Amino acid sequence: MTTIMTVDDTASMRQMISFTLNSVGYEVIEAGDGAEALKLAKDRQVDLVIADLNMPNMDGLTLVKSLRALDTYKFTPILVLTTESQADKRDQGKSAGATGWIVKPFNPEQLVNVVRKVLG
Amino acid sequence: MNSLPLPNRWWLWAIAAVAGSWAWTAAFVPIGVAAGSACVTVIAIVLIAGYGLKRRQRPPTLASYVAVARPESASQWADEVNALLIETEALAPVPPVDQLLKSMEVENHRRRLEDLLRRWVDVAHRYSEAALVLRKEIHAVVQHTEQAANTISSSFQAVISKATLQAREAMELLEGTQGNVNEGAPQSLTDFIRVSDERLTKMADEVVRVADLSVQMVKELDGVQTRTQAIDGFLLDVEKLADQTSLLALNADIEAARVGEHGRGFSVVAQEVRRLSQRSHEFSDRIRQHLKAVKVGLHKTYGDMRNLSAADMEHALQIKDDVITLTHSLEDKNREVAETVGRINTISREIAQDVTNVVMSLQFHDITSQKLKGMLEPMDDLRRTLFHLMQETMATGKNLLPQKESAAAAAKAEEATEAQTVTSDAALRKLRAVGAPINGPSVELF
Repeated sequence: MTTIMTVDDTASMRQMISFTLNSVGYEVIEAGDGAEALKLAKDRQVDLVIADLNMPNMDGLTLVKSLRALDTYKFTPILVLTTESQADKRDQGKSAGATGWIVKPFNPEQLVNVVRKVLG
Repeated sequence: MNSLPLPNRWWLWAIAAVAGSWAWTAAFVPIGVAAGSACVTVIAIVLIAGYGLKRRQRPPTLASYVAVARPESASQWADEVNALLIETEALAPVPPVDQLLKSMEVENHRRRLEDLLRRWVDVAHRYSEAALVLRKEIHAVVQHTEQAANTISSSFQAVISKATLQAREAMELLEGTQGNVNEGAPQSLTDFIRVSDERLTKMADEVVRVADLSVQMVKELDGVQTRTQAIDGFLLDVEKLADQTSLLALNADIEAARVGEHGRGFSVVAQEVRRLSQRSHEFSDRIRQHLKAVKVGLHKTYGDMRNLSAADMEHALQIKDDVITLTHSLEDKNREVAETVGRINTISREIAQDVTNVVMSLQFHDITSQKLKGMLEPMDDLRRTLFHLMQETMATGKNLLPQKESAAAAAKAEEATEAQTVTSDAALRKLRAVGAPINGPSVELF
């Protein structure tokens, strides 16, 4: 079964992502910030990471960089889901190694399409 | 006010003194001298009064301005102006009027600037207090909305999972009635209708066929009855033959008796013939009796058959009608079920759209929270900048905010942790970023 990790400091956001992806048959695990996400990612291999940018303890960009530094997450798709839409932020995400950029609020259908696309 | 000489009365005193000195001397000098000195005195009084009136117009203008600008400090200012005037008068008993007016204007300008600064510092102080309250309020709002959003979100998920389960069960139940036949046994309502229709029609046809057969049999029985009547006729013929034979035998017996001894043998034969005739009579009777029983039986069977065939036919037709009605009503029911399934499918699609809307709307809590949190930082920057400016202002003029010692202490404490060069540029830039619209596509794959 495909496992997706959602990283967001807002519980309701995590719930919405889990709800959307559960309904199309993906297993979703949740993390409240970058540090927790990194720990979870090391404990078990996930197939996709959907991360917020602004979070306490460890922000999204640092998380992306930290995951890319791990051998097991070199090629795992990582989507950034954030309210930030500025081009410079996108560029930062891109250079950190993110696979894609989704601006909040996400459309459930759109999210599922993107997830299917990056999971191949 | 009491401690100072009155600036608008000194010239009155001067007039009184001049007039007094003239009046005092007038009694001791000749009339001509007194009249001359009176002229001089009048001129002196006019001059003094003219100067005095001119001076009188100035101080009220300043006082009225000050009163508008800052009522509580107006008296203080007026005092200071008075002190200044007296000082000037004390130093120079005959003051240079232009210079005095100019210095007062400069002083007035300086005080206006001071007042403005004081008000600026006051605004800065009040803003920093308001900003702290605002900060707390924003945090509270974010927390409350987060709690509410979490509750809404989990309730929404529960509602959706229950609705989905409900719809699925309803669909399973209804779709079961629309499915295909499985190994001969009817699995759906449609099949049930089809199979029962087939079987009931077959049965009704069978009953109709049996009824037809009964009619056929009744006709056959009619034939059999005709035959039995014919047999009856034949039996009458047989009895007639027997009677004639018996009569013939009797005649033969009489003839044999006339012949005597020679006809004895013939008489025996004639008697035997008579006995045969009697036996054939008996035989015919027995046959008639049996035939009668057969006729009664046939008649009864005939009646039964007729009743049976008529009843069968009627029943069979009734059954056929019933089967047709039942089939129609079942088909109607089935159509209704199909329509319900369609409606449930439509509702499910609508629910899916609603779910999408709710999922998107629920995210606005996160977005607004982030925007609110984003406002905090530029607000704090602005507050720090204002504190800094206030500090600097207060360092230049310590009398500007004597009553706000605690605020100054707080500002100092805060400033100790902050860099010295705080500008409001960064704060403004961040504030602009908070209100910025979405740039670029909402989804982008690198």
